[in-house]
Amino acid sequence: MDALIIVFVTGLISMFIAMAKKPVLVLATALIGLSSALALMINQWWSATGFIQLNYEGLLFDKPAILYSSLAISFVLLIVAGGYSYFKQEVEHTGEYISLLIFSLVGAMCMIAFTDLFMFFLGLEILSIPIYVMVGSKKRDILSTEASLKYFFTGSLATGILLFGTAWVYGATGSFKINEISAAILDGSAKGALLNVGILIMMAAFLFKVGAAPFHFWSPDVYGGAPTIVTGFMAAVVKLAGLFAFLKLFTFTFWGAYPLWSGALFGIIILTVIVGNLSALAQTRFKRMLAFSSIANAGYALIAIMNQSNWSTWNLWMYIYGYGFAIIALIIISLLVNDENDAIEGFRGVGRKNPFIGVVLTVSLLSLAGVPPLAGFFGKYMVFAAAFKQYPALVIAAIATSGIGMVYYLRFFMTAMAKEENESTVKKLNPSILQTVVLLICTIALLIGGYIAY
Amino acid sequence: MELYLIPLVFALVAAISPKNMVKYIGLAGAVATLIATVVKAMAFQTGSTVLVYDPELVTSFGLTFKMGYDGMGLFMVLLTNVIVPIILLSNLNRKVANERGFNAMVLLMQVALIGVFTALDGILFYVFWELTLVPIFLIALWYGATDSKKSLVKFFIYTFVGSLAMLLSLMALGTQAADFSHESLVAVQLTAKSACWIMGGFFLAFAIKIPLFPFHTWQPATYTNAPMAGTMLLSGLMLKMALFGMIRWMIPLAPEALYEMQFLVITLGLIGIVYAAIIAIKQNDIKRIFAFASISHVGLIAAGIMLFNTDVLSAAFVQLLNHSLVAVGLFLAAGILEDRFGTRDITQMGGVAKVAPRFAFWFAVIAFASVSVPFTSGFIGEFLLLKGLYNYHWIVGLIAGTTLVFGAVYTFRAYQVSMNGAATTHPFKDLTWNETLAFFLIALMIVFFGVYPQAIINFVGPSLENLKSLIQASNNLVP
Repeated sequence: MDALIIVFVTGLISMFIAMAKKPVLVLATALIGLSSALALMINQWWSATGFIQLNYEGLLFDKPAILYSSLAISFVLLIVAGGYSYFKQEVEHTGEYISLLIFSLVGAMCMIAFTDLFMFFLGLEILSIPIYVMVGSKKRDILSTEASLKYFFTGSLATGILLFGTAWVYGATGSFKINEISAAILDGSAKGALLNVGILIMMAAFLFKVGAAPFHFWSPDVYGGAPTIVTGFMAAVVKLAGLFAFLKLFTFTFWGAYPLWSGALFGIIILTVIVGNLSALAQTRFKRMLAFSSIANAGYALIAIMNQSNWSTWNLWMYIYGYGFAIIALIIISLLVNDENDAIEGFRGVGRKNPFIGVVLTVSLLSLAGVPPLAGFFGKYMVFAAAFKQYPALVIAAIATSGIGMVYYLRFFMTAMAKEENESTVKKLNPSILQTVVLLICTIALLIGGYIAY
Repeated sequence: MELYLIPLVFALVAAISPKNMVKYIGLAGAVATLIATVVKAMAFQTGSTVLVYDPELVTSFGLTFKMGYDGMGLFMVLLTNVIVPIILLSNLNRKVANERGFNAMVLLMQVALIGVFTALDGILFYVFWELTLVPIFLIALWYGATDSKKSLVKFFIYTFVGSLAMLLSLMALGTQAADFSHESLVAVQLTAKSACWIMGGFFLAFAIKIPLFPFHTWQPATYTNAPMAGTMLLSGLMLKMALFGMIRWMIPLAPEALYEMQFLVITLGLIGIVYAAIIAIKQNDIKRIFAFASISHVGLIAAGIMLFNTDVLSAAFVQLLNHSLVAVGLFLAAGILEDRFGTRDITQMGGVAKVAPRFAFWFAVIAFASVSVPFTSGFIGEFLLLKGLYNYHWIVGLIAGTTLVFGAVYTFRAYQVSMNGAATTHPFKDLTWNETLAFFLIALMIVFFGVYPQAIINFVGPSLENLKSLIQASNNLVP
């Protein structure tokens, strides 16, 4: 709880301190605030209580919530630090950019720790609205504006649908609290069409938020149009919050209705991994490729929600851990390359020319593709292995499509690591110290993934 | 532990060291690893199993982190650590040896290979297995032919998909085993049907890597396009992982399917032996000749392994060693010819024996070993394998035996057309010291193990017996 407050206050301070027109102050505030929030979170893991005892029944930071919140805070820390060179380009807006991202994190934490649907909805909105703004923050760029508008319209529609579903569920169970809903479904007092329709409608809204097929059409345009660093934020933090809320709501609250939603989810996962990977094959732009890859990855992560394993929470965490750090590293490299068309060809030879970037690129791409011994492999492995007994077909489909996924990761990898005859045409990248540190942290995180896995 | 740490540390040092030093650092790393391995081998009691690393914990998904070796594993580690210095040595006078990336990647490859041979945990085996793919891919990408992109992608995707099939098999086994350590996986009892599926998954991964007949299409192009060292690593060491994997993992884990799969694999092996040999005879590209020759030779080993009796398995190990030495030697010769002529077409070569007698001599030694002349290491291994196959069925033995005839034809054709005949006007420099030394070391081992193959058989034999009794203890099916 105290971490949440600190994050919120950090957002406020960094917004107002920006009036001094000194971006470095904003950055310092944000980093200090987020780091202390992270420290508090980690402390709470062992002490089980925060420094401030606030019993607000809408939010509960239990162990899974602490795990996921710490990960989300770390992601935002890395994104703020790594994207600073971009944020400070427009001095008068630096504070807004950073504080909006931090407010969005507040929403993500609410979405992680919620105990009733009301708080969950609030978290979702706090998460989404700053992102609508951030996507359109390149005001003179027509693609960015289009992306923002598109995301706003479709996102609001999804939110509306979610509320509609919540209303049905409330009608069936008579409560907003997730454990009361769960109990009502389990003891059979709530059943029938009212409940079923509600659950399925809520699921549709969720699938929209995490970008699963066939609700994924917004994501390539939005990912492609958004400023690079915001794309990274959406891929890492928004996905994290969305997937964990999905996990919490469905494997806990709607557990009694498992037969109902599992069948639908089964089909959607298969569709998602196929659509995501096959569409990514044809992309020539980096961020669009990333968008489709994130669709496919959402599909893999959803498998963790499908299986009735006690380890689901942990498996999903590990999956997002590997995915998030890899995405952040790639996004920062893409920020450095800064190709105006965002073309994959713009990366040609970059990894070879800059050995450090090359190592980071290799590690993060291979981790995304699921090559051992990187974190991405262990995440994928844990999710798949847990589901194998119950849904062999699902796992076979997922593994086969990750073979397809290898093709486009490899193609990108070969472009970036190619040895150019004419080396002078290749860009020499100059990561700032902050970015170097961020890239280093991401790489180490991915390399030690196998050790964290137990 | 030092087995992994020495090459790893040297790989990191090589990646950041100054350019004029890097080749010596690479070589020093490989030699240091070899010395460490020899020390281990001296202290090794045949038939025992040495655990290198065992934290005695099991993760939530069954990973146990067990690393260790028995006679077979140590033999393969020794082989790796002998071959890698020879590869680096033979490259010393080439431009590529001065590249940081090259030395670092070769040493990284060595770490991964050692890992594959010492993994006693299914997931770790998979991890190291996949890890080998990255360095070899980068070596081929950076230092290979410039227009090789397509064949490289094919190679990577092909092997990656094969490995995924193996991963599926491991997962399927894991749902029934206590954890992923080798002995728990062996202890799993399977029905014949599920055993077939599981062995099929493993087989796909291994058959692609070896490569066996219908899965070999990636191999000739990759071998041709890779730089010399890459080809040596691929044929000399990487495909040994698959053959070793068949002995250590595929058959012990699903022995129930041995009889069902035996016929299939032996047939594929036989087709490969004849088919690849016939293609090799018709080729003019010297690297392609040896690439197809490699398919033909390993087909025999794979077919022999499926018989799974101690004699044939020990012979398989002798043949593994022999094939590594011969492949490295042949591709070194091919590399030298390609370098100095600027082409791989043997019809444009000729008369080398006159201008470069040393090269002609050493090349001939390797060529003789390749066609399994007595007193070379090729003889005893091939003989025992053929004998085993003959006992299985005489027709099988007969078809497999054609490898001797075909082998002589394509090897000596390649030798004759390139080395003898009318001299070309192209100047040809004889061997440099490092190439001579590399050839000498290879030839020394070929002759030594040709005269005294019992050394290998004694080394791996007890471990093979242990493996068989382990299988017998957990399943009452295998004789």
